[in-house]
Amino acid sequence: MHTPTRRTVLASLAGLASLRLAEPAVAAPQPGLLRYGLAAWPPNLRPWVSTGAAAGTVKMLLHRRLLGFDDKGELRGELAREWKLDADGAWVFTLNTDALFHNGEAFTSADVKWTIEQVAAERSTAYYRAQMQQIDRIETPDAATVRLVMKEPLATVPQWFTNYNMAIAWHGSPDVNDPVGCGPYAIAAQERGTFLELRAAPHYWRPGLPKTRTLRMVIYADENLRLAALQSGDVDMIEYVPWSGMAAVEADPNLRLLTQNGPFMDLLFNGTRPPFNDPRVRRACAHAVKREDIVRVAFFGRGAPLEGVPIVEGTPWWDAELSKGWNYDPDRARALLAEAGFPNGFSTTLLSTSQFGMHQSTAEIVQQYLAAVGIQAELKLTDWSTRVSLGIRGQYDIAVHGVSADFNDPDGLTVVLDTSLSAAHGRSFGVQAPRTVALLAKGRAEFDQAKRVEIYKDMQRAALEEVPMVGLAWRAQGYAMQASLQGFANLPGALSTSSGALLEFTGLG
Amino acid sequence: MRRLVWPGLVVAVIVLVAVLAPLLPLPDPVVQDVAHRLAPWLPGSFLGRDEFGRDVLSRLIWGARSSLAVAFAASFVAAVAGTALGLFGGWFRGVAEFLAIRGADVLLCFPPILLALLVVTLMGPGTGTLIFVLSILYLPGFIRVAYAEVLSARAQDYVEAVRALGAPTGRILLRTLLPNIAGPVLVQVSLAVAAAVVLESGLSFLGLGVVPPTPSWGQMIRGARATMEQAPTLLLWPCVTLTVTILAMNLLCDALRDALDPRGAAPPRRLLDRVLPGLLPPPAPALLAVQGLTVEIATPGGIIRPVEDLTFSVTAGRTLAIVGESGSGKSMAALAVMGLLPPAARVAAGSAWFDGIDLLRAPEPALRRLRGGDMAMVFQDPMSSLNPVYRIADQVTEAIAAHRSPRPDEAVALLTRVGIADPARRARAYPHELSGGMRQRVMIAMAIANRPRLLIADEPTTALDVTVQAAILDLLADLRREGGMGMVLITHSLGVVAEVGDEVAVMYAAQIVERGPVGEVFARPRHPYTRALLAAVPDGEHEAEGIPGTVPRPDAWPPGCRFAPRCAHARAICATPPVLEVVDGRDIRCLRWREFSA
Amino acid sequence: MLWLLRRLGTSLLLMWVVATIVFMALHVVPGDPAEVLLSTGGTSPDAYAVAELRTQLGLDLPLSVQYGRFLAGLTRGDLGVSLVDDYPVAQEIMLRLPRTLELILAGSLIAVAIGLPTGTLAAVRHGGGFDRGAGAVAAVLQSVPVFVLGTLLILVFAQWLRWMPAGGFVPASQGLGQHLLLLSLPALAVGKGLAAVVYRMTRASVLDALSRDHVRTARAKGLTPRRVLARHVVRNALSPVATVLGLHMGALLGGTVLVEYVFNWPGLSTPLLRAVEARDYPMVVGIILTVSALFLLINLAMDFLYAALDPRILRS
Repeated sequence: MHTPTRRTVLASLAGLASLRLAEPAVAAPQPGLLRYGLAAWPPNLRPWVSTGAAAGTVKMLLHRRLLGFDDKGELRGELAREWKLDADGAWVFTLNTDALFHNGEAFTSADVKWTIEQVAAERSTAYYRAQMQQIDRIETPDAATVRLVMKEPLATVPQWFTNYNMAIAWHGSPDVNDPVGCGPYAIAAQERGTFLELRAAPHYWRPGLPKTRTLRMVIYADENLRLAALQSGDVDMIEYVPWSGMAAVEADPNLRLLTQNGPFMDLLFNGTRPPFNDPRVRRACAHAVKREDIVRVAFFGRGAPLEGVPIVEGTPWWDAELSKGWNYDPDRARALLAEAGFPNGFSTTLLSTSQFGMHQSTAEIVQQYLAAVGIQAELKLTDWSTRVSLGIRGQYDIAVHGVSADFNDPDGLTVVLDTSLSAAHGRSFGVQAPRTVALLAKGRAEFDQAKRVEIYKDMQRAALEEVPMVGLAWRAQGYAMQASLQGFANLPGALSTSSGALLEFTGLG
Repeated sequence: MRRLVWPGLVVAVIVLVAVLAPLLPLPDPVVQDVAHRLAPWLPGSFLGRDEFGRDVLSRLIWGARSSLAVAFAASFVAAVAGTALGLFGGWFRGVAEFLAIRGADVLLCFPPILLALLVVTLMGPGTGTLIFVLSILYLPGFIRVAYAEVLSARAQDYVEAVRALGAPTGRILLRTLLPNIAGPVLVQVSLAVAAAVVLESGLSFLGLGVVPPTPSWGQMIRGARATMEQAPTLLLWPCVTLTVTILAMNLLCDALRDALDPRGAAPPRRLLDRVLPGLLPPPAPALLAVQGLTVEIATPGGIIRPVEDLTFSVTAGRTLAIVGESGSGKSMAALAVMGLLPPAARVAAGSAWFDGIDLLRAPEPALRRLRGGDMAMVFQDPMSSLNPVYRIADQVTEAIAAHRSPRPDEAVALLTRVGIADPARRARAYPHELSGGMRQRVMIAMAIANRPRLLIADEPTTALDVTVQAAILDLLADLRREGGMGMVLITHSLGVVAEVGDEVAVMYAAQIVERGPVGEVFARPRHPYTRALLAAVPDGEHEAEGIPGTVPRPDAWPPGCRFAPRCAHARAICATPPVLEVVDGRDIRCLRWREFSA
Repeated sequence: MLWLLRRLGTSLLLMWVVATIVFMALHVVPGDPAEVLLSTGGTSPDAYAVAELRTQLGLDLPLSVQYGRFLAGLTRGDLGVSLVDDYPVAQEIMLRLPRTLELILAGSLIAVAIGLPTGTLAAVRHGGGFDRGAGAVAAVLQSVPVFVLGTLLILVFAQWLRWMPAGGFVPASQGLGQHLLLLSLPALAVGKGLAAVVYRMTRASVLDALSRDHVRTARAKGLTPRRVLARHVVRNALSPVATVLGLHMGALLGGTVLVEYVFNWPGLSTPLLRAVEARDYPMVVGIILTVSALFLLINLAMDFLYAALDPRILRS
């Protein structure tokens, strides 16, 4: 019997090495099916509770909001056809009455009223509960009109209704946690943790939509796997493209990358602990950090330095000079420190989380630059849960944070800038910024656009001096897809994470 | 000991470099230089820069420092606490024991990394937490080692003695018990350090290790993973360093374990060489004719010869008894003839003619055909010679099947033949269910299954009772008569020789000193050793008593006559090695035998 | 029989202790599931919403009450529901556990398939080139940390050679071929340590068996070397190998944590990590109890296997 010699064995192994196992068939996009790589399994799909952007994307497809955005990021009606301020300062929404819920029921103003009441309820945990409670009365003169009488004049009410946690649901829904929606899709199948299959809702009231009948959302929690899935054709489109992989997507002629700088990284302070009660010290921190390094390292160059208050460039409130108010100027930083009584710097701690690479990288760079001006910050890395807990309780000195505002109107920054609100891990703790807060409130109540622009510019000036937070860097929010897909756009600025709503229009050719 | 050197050196170098890190001319491992991030090589940065532009080589060295510091600290804490707990538990028993052992059990209840993960996630990463959690993880190992040692040492006489003298407990524990467990504890420490390095790097990889910017290998791997495509070498350096370090540590652990727990140096390996062609012609027709057989074993101290210049022959239908003390080389000679020498031994010279074949030079397949067929062997210890996991019938059938197709029930028939009662039931039993005598009968059954022409029985009754001995010997004698077998019976008992031997060969210190027909040798022994044997043994049951001195060791044969140091008749001439003389059909190896054998 | 009952009893006691320790530990450290849940993505929830959610989840009850409920649930076999998404913990475990087990099993198979023959060969040809080479490979395999090997495997096979995707999971029902392909690399990583151990153990055990008297007897019967090896050497050498296998299979449970992380294999450790991060107490305790039970069960099973391979123990 022939016994294989060593040589033949080695030769065959070499042969094996050059043989490629059958590549998994690169599945081309099929008409009628869109495979989307979702970044996380939605913990739940309760319409009004905030459980992250992945859940938000799905919710925007199952439900409709009163208002949405077009592909330029301009306000556009969804369930509301028109909206205006009436003579008494109340907001009046004229509704789109051909809308139908998934169970065939007609959409009426009663549904809007019911939704708002659910959100504002005493025991609600809805994201916009506080906002909805600022509605004094909800009037429904007819089935197609809703009139919201506010307790105080507020210019940003329409923006509220664009949030993906403000879906309008059917008032007769038996289960409040899973109410009937009127969105373009309904859930057809799911496997926990693996995929969600959405199919066009039978009663969807917009003709010709949704463009793609079946939307298969496959969960890829690991960003590199998500990208690899797109590159190998396992999915047609992904969200949250990893920054390290964006260059590869751009270089690939079969793929298209859409990025927007929407979310940002910032620094928060504990104003109850000296020396951070002194705005000069906080400002020194602002001038100490070279933002470009953060962009390069944490985001592989995909982003932009944020040297001022996070106002989106291109919006009317943006000012070129103000956007550089906290520019990299270590000498100025040192001077400020000396002025505040710390010519030789001081020791402190810097809180961040090891759970997200971008947070950790940002923290490491900030630490370096603070050290360069004399502030020796010991890095304290915890897991996310602890980070949140410490943040809420103000158990830190400086903390790194990352967030996206809810919308591009500067009032959306209230949640980050308004330190008079209740303690949260996303705002500085106990920092006094009275002028900033006052200007924010003023801007909220002003309806005249020109005046608002001025107010918000003043707000930026105030914030630059009072330093309720320090902007560090914009980070790019990326969507990548097969080049043949049409109809999608990455909405500008803070709206980027709301782009999922446009999947309604996305499809082949 | 040699195995300790290389890994020990590598580990020592790594530790040294880590300790000396602050003194070495290295760039600062935490200083970032983002402009040069991911550079594979730069002047001054021979291994390149990482994702923050920090120098990789420097971070590797400082990373060694953090990883090793954590590992050593944790192992030290675990060693001290664990040993103490084990000592107290083992000494005081009761509550202390319960806590120590059950505590160890709870800790061992689930996998270490899971436990570490949970604790660190909950307590927050950092060197302190790491040392704490790692010490806890390695505690059980030390507890167990100390506990076991204390338990076994407690019972020792010397401990009892010290206690009886009223020594205080602390003194006993520290002075008496502790030094004895130093060896195993040291081994345990080395294991713990190696394991701690692995675990710490795993935790750092998950982001739960030392806090940046302090470098750590696991952390470097984590960071490099994100840039795997752009900078693959960045990933390779820490992987290689980590692997090499752990490898060196593991090898060191192994070597330490061997050094402190010696199982005896393994004999050196040598393949069975081809023996030089024999020079002597085959002698007159005997069943088995052995000439000048010499066996060598290579040991670290040199070459020893457990069998030297053996010459004997066996005739069909007759029994040759080879008698000698333990260590005289009798068994080795038999194994050499059968071709069953252990791998360390080889035939250095001689020939063994059987059926026209020189057994010592025949190819293995030919020998295999003979073994269990025309030539069979029965060994000394039937318990260990039978495979404990197979039934008797299977083993007997196997012996048959090696040479021909077994008939049904042939095994049972053989068992009956060798006198086993209730053979059908015994056939289905396992070896450990049979008595010594029965097992030996089974061995004999297997040996005679294929009607051998030559049967070699190596001390077949030594391990058996007196009463059983006689029965076995009778059996062997019957079989020999029946089958016309030639038999070689190896024994140390003269009584056995007298009973069943036709010819006897007396061996002393690897040589045959006298050979001849039993009646003649016993009546008129020529060699002083034979005489002494006969004179000293009243009933042939025990080792020769009354001969002054001891048998020399194989690595220290006396020059000249090997029995001379103990011989009453030794003279100066006995310093010359005596050759074997053949006189009147008897062999004698003594230069002076004529003088005192009147 | 009695010893079996005693072992079971001790195991149950140990598991209870473990569950209690974990439960207490999770409640003592900072971090609150309600806060975490509502802070996804960096959003700052209303303090009121957080408090309300805590009440809804039953987190504002005194610790003793929570513990009491938890224990009561355990005795009913109810592991509770996840605080994050109300999903029954037991169901999540039932979904994920088979995948972790599959990884362990595949890893063990690979380890035995590699270790047993090479160990036997090294023992039979011991001192030779193969023995030394295999020993070196085994030492390296044992020393390479599993996450390093995993990462390198991805680098080589997924990135450079492009033979397979970098990780992920396809259920067997949806494509057995792809499923097995995706299983291969993680199983290799999981099994590498065990392969080295099996190799060493087999080698030592076979070496020992080779020197046994019954092997000499077998040779004396005139059996061919192959038969001697197969029937009298390897067969007898198996029981120590089986014991060692059992000991280490339990350790594999922990090894899968890193492998699942590196390869994104959706086994039990990912939800455990996420649950700890989210302070999802029921999920954490449920998974840990499952893992401990599994661990103890494996050890118990190995005891039986050992007895089966060596009839002396069973009969006694």
